[in-house]
Amino acid sequence: MGYDDYLGNEKLIITVATTGGVHGKDANPNLPEQPEEIAADVRACEKLGAAVVHVHGRDEHGENDAARLQAVDDAIRDRCDDIVIQNTTGGQSPLEDRIAGIQTAPPPEMASLDMGPFKRDRHIITEHTRHSIDTLAAAMQERGIKPELEVFNSGQLNEVYRLIEDGLLDPPYYINLIFGGRAFTLPRPKNVLNLVDNLPPDAEFTLLATGRHQLPLTTLGILLGGHVRVGLEDNLHYSDERLAESNAELVERTVDIAERLGRDVATPSEARTILDIE
Amino acid sequence: MPCPYLRYQSSDEDHEFDHDRPYCAAKGSFVSPMRADICNDRHEFTHETHCDIYRQVTEQREERASTATGSLE
Repeated sequence: MGYDDYLGNEKLIITVATTGGVHGKDANPNLPEQPEEIAADVRACEKLGAAVVHVHGRDEHGENDAARLQAVDDAIRDRCDDIVIQNTTGGQSPLEDRIAGIQTAPPPEMASLDMGPFKRDRHIITEHTRHSIDTLAAAMQERGIKPELEVFNSGQLNEVYRLIEDGLLDPPYYINLIFGGRAFTLPRPKNVLNLVDNLPPDAEFTLLATGRHQLPLTTLGILLGGHVRVGLEDNLHYSDERLAESNAELVERTVDIAERLGRDVATPSEARTILDIE
Repeated sequence: MPCPYLRYQSSDEDHEFDHDRPYCAAKGSFVSPMRADICNDRHEFTHETHCDIYRQVTEQREERASTATGSLE
């Protein structure tokens, strides 16, 4: 993938990550946590052009709870027309909890698959051993769930190549390049170009950048023919001056930028075609 | 066993919610969902080992107790 794909006007897949597992309403009161409020937000984003929703579950106190994924998925299906549901299998809980992300009924069409561990806090690390990565990849392949491969830093691209060699992934490989502070790839345009240049054949990339880097680097991703993920999980602010009022506000801005750059936004159905989701 | 400084409440001086959220009485602020796992000793986490705030407050309390005991001797 690259600039030629932009010139060729490949449709842009917008993923919205509404909630995540890191922040709560104390950080931004507009961050949705409960199934109905998440679903209402997702519906607004779908109407604006989001084709995929990345889903986390929270309990009644706003704490992480993979067991609530089912309720969130159900609420999204009730409210939305066709958006592709992508459940998380990430986080700091053990594998037996994280696998809940692919055990909902019906199964999600997509799920995230972390390509390795990373530090989250002074004492918190998300553990992703090769055993857990392979276990999740094999289970997704068996169930026909499309993995979004989460490359938190540049070295984790090696893990994508390994999974391809081991036959645990089916093309096209959907790779989420992640940029930001701390354990993520340093958020610089040259690093985006470098990672895009080093993608395996038959790959589609989407770009996630945290905080103030979300706007400029996702715009760069659009210009490089990639897809983008936006939302309050990754960025609580609309600008340096104020918090985002909603996930929809961030999606709307991305759609506006894409249209100004001449890139058409993919519907959920078109996203399925691009990613070969049956 | 959860951290003794963990509370569930719906408001503080700066926030008001329609439901109870994890709150750190030692720090005086709401706790992020990510850090609440430490407060609740979930997964492999324990607040005694993995919370710097708990450790700092506990050390300060022990120091004060030691000083107070010393002054009585």
